[in-house]
Amino acid sequence: MRNKYDVDEQLETPFNFSHLKRSFVYVKKYRRNMAGSLMLSICAAIIGLIGPLITQRALDVTIPGKDIKELFLLALALLCCNAGAMLCGNMSGRIMTKVGQNIIFDIREDLFAHLQKLPFSYYDDRPHGKILIRVINYVDSVSNMLSNGIIMFIMEILNMIFILIFMFIVDVKLSIVALSGLPLFMLVMFAIKKRQRRAWQSVSNKSSNMNAYLQENIVGARITQVFTREEENAGIYDRLNEKYRKAWMEAVKYSNLVWPATDNISTLVRVAIFVMGLVILPAGTVSLGTLAAMTGYAARFWQPIMNLSNIMNNFINNISYLERIFETLDEPVKIHDKEGAEPLGTIEGAVSFKDVTFGYEEGINVLEHVSFDVRPGESIALVGPTGAGKSTIVSLISRFYDIQQGAITVDGVDISGVTLASLRSQMGIMLQDSFIFSGTIMDNIRYGRLDATDEEVMQAAKTVCADQFISLMEDGYDTQVNERGSKLSGGEKQLISFARTLLSDPKILVLDEATSSIDAKTEALLQKGINELLKGRTSFIIAHRLSTIRNCDRIMYIDEKGILESGSHDELMQKHGAYYELYTSQSV
Amino acid sequence: MFQLRWLWANMKGSRRNYIIALCLSIVCNALYIAAPYFQSRIIDTFVSSPDAVGNLELHRDLLFRLLGGMIGFTLLRTVCQYSCNMYYEVASQSMIYKVRTHLFRKIENQDMAFYDRFRTGDLMTRLTGDLDMVRHMVSWVIKGCVESMALFTASMVYFFTIDWRTALCILAMTPCIFIVTRRLSKNAGPAYRRVRETSSALNTAAQENISGNRIVKAFAREDYEIKKFRARDEEYRKANINAAFVWLRFQPLIELAAGGLSVILLLCGGYFMINGHLTMGQYVAISGLLWAVSNPMRNMGNYVNDFHRFMASAGKIIEIYYEAPRIVDRVDAKDRDKFRGEVEFRNVTYSIGGKKILDDISFHISPGEHVVIMGATGSGKTSLINLIPRFSDCDSGEVLVDGMNVRMHKLRKLRKNVSIATQDVLLYSDTIDSNIAFGDSEMEEAYVHRCAELSAASEFIDKLPQKYDTIVGERGVGLSGGQKQRISLARAIAVRPSVLILDDTTSAVDMETENYIKDSLDNKLDFDCTKIVVAQRISTARNADKIIILENGKIADMGTHEELISHEGYYKQIYDLQSGMGEEPADGLSGKEATD
Repeated sequence: MRNKYDVDEQLETPFNFSHLKRSFVYVKKYRRNMAGSLMLSICAAIIGLIGPLITQRALDVTIPGKDIKELFLLALALLCCNAGAMLCGNMSGRIMTKVGQNIIFDIREDLFAHLQKLPFSYYDDRPHGKILIRVINYVDSVSNMLSNGIIMFIMEILNMIFILIFMFIVDVKLSIVALSGLPLFMLVMFAIKKRQRRAWQSVSNKSSNMNAYLQENIVGARITQVFTREEENAGIYDRLNEKYRKAWMEAVKYSNLVWPATDNISTLVRVAIFVMGLVILPAGTVSLGTLAAMTGYAARFWQPIMNLSNIMNNFINNISYLERIFETLDEPVKIHDKEGAEPLGTIEGAVSFKDVTFGYEEGINVLEHVSFDVRPGESIALVGPTGAGKSTIVSLISRFYDIQQGAITVDGVDISGVTLASLRSQMGIMLQDSFIFSGTIMDNIRYGRLDATDEEVMQAAKTVCADQFISLMEDGYDTQVNERGSKLSGGEKQLISFARTLLSDPKILVLDEATSSIDAKTEALLQKGINELLKGRTSFIIAHRLSTIRNCDRIMYIDEKGILESGSHDELMQKHGAYYELYTSQSV
Repeated sequence: MFQLRWLWANMKGSRRNYIIALCLSIVCNALYIAAPYFQSRIIDTFVSSPDAVGNLELHRDLLFRLLGGMIGFTLLRTVCQYSCNMYYEVASQSMIYKVRTHLFRKIENQDMAFYDRFRTGDLMTRLTGDLDMVRHMVSWVIKGCVESMALFTASMVYFFTIDWRTALCILAMTPCIFIVTRRLSKNAGPAYRRVRETSSALNTAAQENISGNRIVKAFAREDYEIKKFRARDEEYRKANINAAFVWLRFQPLIELAAGGLSVILLLCGGYFMINGHLTMGQYVAISGLLWAVSNPMRNMGNYVNDFHRFMASAGKIIEIYYEAPRIVDRVDAKDRDKFRGEVEFRNVTYSIGGKKILDDISFHISPGEHVVIMGATGSGKTSLINLIPRFSDCDSGEVLVDGMNVRMHKLRKLRKNVSIATQDVLLYSDTIDSNIAFGDSEMEEAYVHRCAELSAASEFIDKLPQKYDTIVGERGVGLSGGQKQRISLARAIAVRPSVLILDDTTSAVDMETENYIKDSLDNKLDFDCTKIVVAQRISTARNADKIIILENGKIADMGTHEELISHEGYYKQIYDLQSGMGEEPADGLSGKEATD
């Protein structure tokens, strides 16, 4: 099901800690650093405990004894303690900063690398803004949780255990009273957590929707202006924005509850200790010192719990992002190298379809039982009505999709058995959409062959007659261009994209409406120039301008899920079939 | 500091809530200072006092009152804290809401020059990460600063009432903090600006990779893309670590100063106690509240840090916040509803970046005429038609629609009457129905179908499993080029414009379909409109009332098909090329010679 900007993406997997567990894969790599940081934190905590002892000594002994010299010494000792704790803390901070940044780097790299493997349909099925926000914003959000969050979590747990031990040593009964707040705490947390998680999921959905719409409007600002839809779109954005705000407010409504709830329970527990110690238990059973110590411990026992609940709070907010990240990582790669796939050697360029059946969606076949053979160096024109499957045939050769039935071979080797990179790098496909990356024109052409020299890039541009307009631009080949910019016209973009394809020096060349926006005269010049380049290459040409295709070695007329007619121009003209009709309808 | 003034200006409407939140913040902190009162009173009276047992017997009601007070007080404090937090959220969210809607409108109304400067990924960063930083500033940093200041001042005042000498010693530490934070401030600014830049570069790399995923696959450039992305990510990581380390470099100093307070207290307080200027009780009171002075000092560093992140981000937002499009309504613009569809250019000259694109263009198109514009790639066809709905303004000369300079028309009205099917077809990730009804979302379904029929789109739409409810992806991926063009055409027709401009909109459709479309446009439209068509094919041009030939930004020729083929020129050349009669081979690809 395709997704659009105002539809929330459903998440199938229920909440579980397995997401956290899974994220430990990323954490594990840095477990040494994290252990080091943890040790430093513990050191800092222990050194921190010495401070009160020094003060106590000063108040109990030194000051009453009016010993100024010792007072100085004690102050110095306290200073050293502070400095020691500070140093440990600082070092731990340095380690964790790097760990945190490394973890997001790793996650982002995995996510990005996985996205490269996903099929077109993944990109076609959802607004691009929704993919973008996962790679950038969501990954950033989870970093703190996976680095400092974990250390803090461990520290607070240790803290809690220590205090618990002290409490039980002092008095078991009162300790149990102090612990009695825990079930209540759990209950409250459970009630909040459930809603809280749903609320934060909704926040991530709404922000994703909002940003998807934003991205489309940035890309499509022109269309909006053409149709004077500014106000209506702004209205839609306002509504998405409002929904996001509502979701956010709903979420913080619960998130903000956690701390006060814990605070109140902690107070109740202390009150309970007083009531127990002073009122319920018969006088004398609890010593006053014990009672004083217990209330002190109870307060300190709840401090880590409060901190833990805050950390948990943070975890829950971020887990909804983590879920989205893992969901993307789990997205199945439909087209991948088969096990034991061999790289395809340098090819001659023979292409065969053997009884190929294919459909983008199950049950709706675009091609049925298509068979043909193309010799190396042959030029094939594909003609036929729009949507008949011409582009489909050429994208099957590059194995952008896997076929349901039959086989496609290149030089007699089934393409499903070779590595994708070795196959695609020997093919040059010029698509209907000519995408321009932000950067210089030089960079854009060089995308076809990364190690091409400047001269080679310029040569390719000359061959496709792009050199002329490029050299007229402000900075020539170094002119900065971008996707939506006004610097390039549609035809110019196609010429750049053409140069890019030629530079890649493919054995099999596919031109899919490659010259539709290029004017007839430039096209004619262009054709002359590339005749040279077509030598020794197999080419597939999809075009509507019959002048473009008339001289191909073979013309295939595609319709009704297969090849209706096939032959040279003259043969097909004599046949008086579909091609004849098409040709005569176009003739001026 | 302009960022702060900008922030305050945008708080309009939420200022009341925000001030309430700030006040509540102060109250909450005061309550925090007072919180230990009940417990220490209970311990003093009933636990550690020498006659604790007696007190317990005699004043049992006091105990319960104190216990009740403890619960009540905590409840009050937490309720106060909760509402305070919620006030902050309400205020910051409505502020962000306002800024966001404003930015959206800004972006939407910009002209081409703006989009040459700002990349999609960069704009996205501004509206996501940067905006979140502003929110953080409002709901966290300012709050923290105010709380810290209140806490600091209140406890210092309290300390002075207890003992001015000790208080003065403690206060003497504060200048250290200021010096350190000032130094930090100087270093943090550039570090965060760098983070900001690298994040925008990262965002752009990801965005272009996603949008260009087809090209990436076509060239099997996945590894290259990963490498490129990794390099940007590496930069981003470095910048982040660097910024964090700026903070970590100064943090020891801040920590030493804040932690030093306890040393000072021990030393000076102890000395004064030995001298008899300070009692034990006073010492304990000060030491019990020392955190209320040292924590704010500690936090100052954090806030300075966050402040600089805010400044870097807010600066980026402000850049587009005040960006004004150059093409706007004139104050004396005329508001006309229905146009006749007359278009005239008088000596129009237009250039981009010093390069002359159009040079002295003059022509006249009467209402209802069908005009074709032809010319080589880069000859200025698209620039020319962009002047009609005022997507750009010409440098000199006049563009007139219905006899009035386009600058005198209200933009909205002008563009409502002039509809373009653009060269670069962009559809929204929405249903086909909504995409066709883009110009008027109230459009009836039957009319949507009729427009699809006119533009020869209904045939393939009906074959789709969900027909008009099929969701097409961004940029209409999933549809073939010709299919996208036809939807784009239907979308342009659906608004019933007075001037319909087709910018090479039928380049990817086959001949038969094109003829069908031509027939619909000429004979089947149920409204009058002037048609201006940019085309490459003679077949598209031959029946036009007028054909304009552009060459290097100038009108090289103008006339009907018959007139133009009667003499040598660009049109005649193309005609010969396309009908296969010229001296030049009319070969698409002279594949025969090349490959035989």
